[in-house]
Amino acid sequence: MNAAPTNASSATVALIRDTFREAFARRIFWGFFACCSALLLFLMFIMRIDVVQGAIATVTIFGRSTPSTDVQDLVQQTQSVIAMILYFAGMALSVFASAGLVAAVFEPGRIELLLSKPVSRIHLLLGRYAGNVLVVAANIVYLVAGSWIIFGVKTSTWGAGFLMSSLCTIFIFAVLLAILVLVGVLWDSSAVAIMVTFAIMIITPILAQKPTIERLLSSEWSRDVVRVLYYVLPKTSDVSVIIRRMILNQPIESWMPVWSTALFGAVVLALGLWRFQRRSF
Amino acid sequence: MAEYAIETDGLTKVFRTAFSGRELRAVDNISLRVPIGSTYGLLGPNGAGKTTFVKILLSCTHQTAGRAMVFGRDTRQAEARRPIGYLPENHRFPTYMTGFDMLDFYGALSGMETKARRKRIPELLSLVGLDDRARDLRLGKYSKGMLQRVGLAQALIHSPKLLVLDEPSDGVDPVGRKQIRDVLQALEQQGVTIFLNSHLLAEVELFCREVAIIQKGKLALSGSVEELTSGSGYHVEGLRVPEGLESELRARARAFTSDNGSLRLLFATRGDANEAVDLLRSNGCEIESLGRTRSTLEEVFMKTVEGGEAQKQ
Repeated sequence: MNAAPTNASSATVALIRDTFREAFARRIFWGFFACCSALLLFLMFIMRIDVVQGAIATVTIFGRSTPSTDVQDLVQQTQSVIAMILYFAGMALSVFASAGLVAAVFEPGRIELLLSKPVSRIHLLLGRYAGNVLVVAANIVYLVAGSWIIFGVKTSTWGAGFLMSSLCTIFIFAVLLAILVLVGVLWDSSAVAIMVTFAIMIITPILAQKPTIERLLSSEWSRDVVRVLYYVLPKTSDVSVIIRRMILNQPIESWMPVWSTALFGAVVLALGLWRFQRRSF
Repeated sequence: MAEYAIETDGLTKVFRTAFSGRELRAVDNISLRVPIGSTYGLLGPNGAGKTTFVKILLSCTHQTAGRAMVFGRDTRQAEARRPIGYLPENHRFPTYMTGFDMLDFYGALSGMETKARRKRIPELLSLVGLDDRARDLRLGKYSKGMLQRVGLAQALIHSPKLLVLDEPSDGVDPVGRKQIRDVLQALEQQGVTIFLNSHLLAEVELFCREVAIIQKGKLALSGSVEELTSGSGYHVEGLRVPEGLESELRARARAFTSDNGSLRLLFATRGDANEAVDLLRSNGCEIESLGRTRSTLEEVFMKTVEGGEAQKQ
């Protein structure tokens, strides 16, 4: 029996399925799923909203009522809180969980077998990367779409901004995952990969306060360093502002944080692939 | 049309330490040809460079110099690896997969269609002696022997033309070893080239037609097992040899052993052996055995490793 001709798509599907299988086995997927489900149940049963003629009569949480307010405003504010929780806490958890999934591929005894197959190294790593993004994306979409439907049903508010925010969140995760991949390829260590990625996640909101920092710094060179770091590193904080504005239906002043972050992610991922391509195992 | 399943020319791999820049030549200018359809054993002491050599063949490790071809194609091309089935030594199969999942996954990576995989997997599990229970059992629950069997099935999933096996019977009981050997023999008859890397010299001697011995990264010896183990003398073994004749034959022989009425003599030439046979027969002694002396592969290996053997190509 001869092997069938190369079927790149079936190899890609196999790699993605393998990542999901591993995420299931490591309880990563189910852990996220449980957290998202808990939040959705909270929104579904604990928060009761009574709407009278387009305005909210009462909002009841744990049996306590709050004063009435505009429906759309309340929904958008709540959605932006959910989006921010998802964006910061969810991202941190996702990075923590995904580091192991990336490093697992490079384990001796496993990588040799993968590399011995008629699949290019770039294809192997991108397949794993895509699988990892999809594991996290599935939960983000589940939570965002679920809460969007709950809010829609309870308040008849169906703004698309909240749904769009999930794309930005997935996008930021994809960029952070590129860092995990690069560090993983360089050092085979999920611990180092987590440390580097978390360091970037912590530094970038600080750099987002660029005008204030520049005022505080006395020398021009140190201000230049801050500027370079700000423009080079991903702008997680600025993207969170864009997400909030999308949900609140406010105009987006600049898309620079998104495209410069995308550029950073693309360069880092390309470096990871290049290094993986050249590396001996 | 390629003549060889594996062909390397001046293959070299140098590892350099990060800070001191010290060099280690793990594979040093190895040129090797493995004919299509042969059973070839790769031997060498620990750290000789066998695994690095195999990893270059599979493109897991990039060579510093030289070239490695499989069926005439550079192994760095992904497509060149399509006809290869590989079982690594210290494999680490994903423990969250069942035997079926694992074969399905590696089958898909080998370019097989879903339908072909579904048909092939049960056949293979049965071939390597794994039952239906093993099919749906997670690999984390497999014994070492079962992992080795499913690993072999994984290497065979896409019906490769070249099988590269690193210690295939490691951790397998004697019955399992025999089963694996039978599978490999059947594959050999189908024309599959088998490249075996094993520490079990008796296993290699039993199964391989050709061997190569690597030492300190260099090819120390290669040739057919028959040729390498054939000795330079002849032996004659007679029974019920009279005392006077025994003394005479001992004096003529290069070496001898005597035990319970049986006399075993070693002669340097065929003529000496024939004369001994004539003497024994004319004295009414029975000939128990006679033939060319042979070395075991272990003896050849030890001689080579100890540096007593010059390179023989």
